[in-house]
Amino acid sequence: MDLLTQTANSLWQVVLVGLLLGAGLPAIFALGLKSLSTGARTNPDGTSTATTAGKVGAAACFAVVLIAIIAGILMLMQNFLASSFGIHVF
Amino acid sequence: MTAELVVLLVVVVTALAFDFTNGFHDTGNAMATSIATGALRPKVAVALSATLNLVGAFLSVEVAATVAKGVVNLGSVSGEALLLIVFAGLVGGILWNLATWLFGMPSSSSHALFGGLIGAAIASIGMNGVEWGGVMGKVILPALLAPVVAALVAAVGTKLIYRITHAVPDDTKSKGFRIGQVGTASLVSLAHGTNDAQKTMGVIFLALVAHGSISADAEMPFWVKLSCAVAIALGTYLGGWRIIRTLGKGLVEIAAPQGMAAESSSAAIILTSSHLGLPLSTTHVATGSILGTGLGRRGAEVRWGVAGRMAVAWLITLPSAGIVGAICWALAHLIGGLPGVLVVFALLVALSVFMYLRSRRQPVDPTNVNAEWEGGPTAGTTDAAAAGAELQADADATTRSNP
Repeated sequence: MDLLTQTANSLWQVVLVGLLLGAGLPAIFALGLKSLSTGARTNPDGTSTATTAGKVGAAACFAVVLIAIIAGILMLMQNFLASSFGIHVF
Repeated sequence: MTAELVVLLVVVVTALAFDFTNGFHDTGNAMATSIATGALRPKVAVALSATLNLVGAFLSVEVAATVAKGVVNLGSVSGEALLLIVFAGLVGGILWNLATWLFGMPSSSSHALFGGLIGAAIASIGMNGVEWGGVMGKVILPALLAPVVAALVAAVGTKLIYRITHAVPDDTKSKGFRIGQVGTASLVSLAHGTNDAQKTMGVIFLALVAHGSISADAEMPFWVKLSCAVAIALGTYLGGWRIIRTLGKGLVEIAAPQGMAAESSSAAIILTSSHLGLPLSTTHVATGSILGTGLGRRGAEVRWGVAGRMAVAWLITLPSAGIVGAICWALAHLIGGLPGVLVVFALLVALSVFMYLRSRRQPVDPTNVNAEWEGGPTAGTTDAAAAGAELQADADATTRSNP
């Protein structure tokens, strides 16, 4: 019983964080791509140029995703950083 | 050289061999989607994954001389008896990894190792050698939960992505998501190196303690870290192409947006669960994620026959590796001492060579890993003949499409 409650307890957290980051971050990335293409001008040679607002929006979205990936790397390194350099990131 | 030292050496070599199979068995978890969508060329993908596994292995901090803690209880044995159990368990794990690889089935390397150790422990110590509560909580329950959770997250992610980007031109979409996909897949590779290489480090450390070379509270010797890191990276670089093919082409036809959804889901779940101490297997999470992207995209085909065969492979991983582990232990024990260990080791080498040669009949390599997926039993048949026939059909199809 103890095992089940313990598992259930960490399970809902995994589901919640999973949905938030695992599904949310690609959605933000998608928003960035959408921002780039919305209102974009199509050049005669077939390429397209994004609007300034679009570029800013996209940069913000991609920055969020990038920060999340860096946070993920730091999370993997936390024990290593703590034991080798005494740095506690989380 | 004393007999004990030779036994120790054989155990260390076997542990590194397991680490190597662990590497190529799991390349697909991180890189199958990037290879299938063309985000990375196959050779580049495995090289990237191998490098990140190497780095990841050095990031792991394993200090305790425990192996499969909470799953098997090896406290009552020591010395050569302990070495023999660990050795038999490793052989069980390696043989199961090779067999599933031959059939292109992704299965958890941790479960294979646990299975082998459980079998060897039952054969030597009896039922007391296994902590059944731990087996339930650390092995069986997570295996049931992981694919479901991962599929849910990936399906939601895929749905969101396609809804948001439905007006974005296709070429922008695939270019963008390919970049995103490589980023998240790299995170999965790094996490794999960190989590999986330390399993083998723990095994070798335990073997050294059992032999008496180092004390239980010593630091992890650098050569152990280095050799484990190199073994898992070499295995990853070799690439388990058969498994990569099943994951990237067999289960679902994947497009770049789905690839990113799958790898984000895998990365998020693996990192969160290891942070919370819920031991979800990378393989189960990655497979669930890929399946989820098929469920989340309207019109995408999920090949349930392939999924069913995978599910059966997962179910029988623990008992199968266990039976092999138990047989190996019994064999080594009956013959006894150094000759027993050497006989089992020779058997391991012979069976490995046999399975390798068998795989050469229908090779899957970087040139045909992305070939069209044709045929395959639609029902969840798992017998070797059906799977072998399917591989044969795949290989034939490949020869036709790549003259």
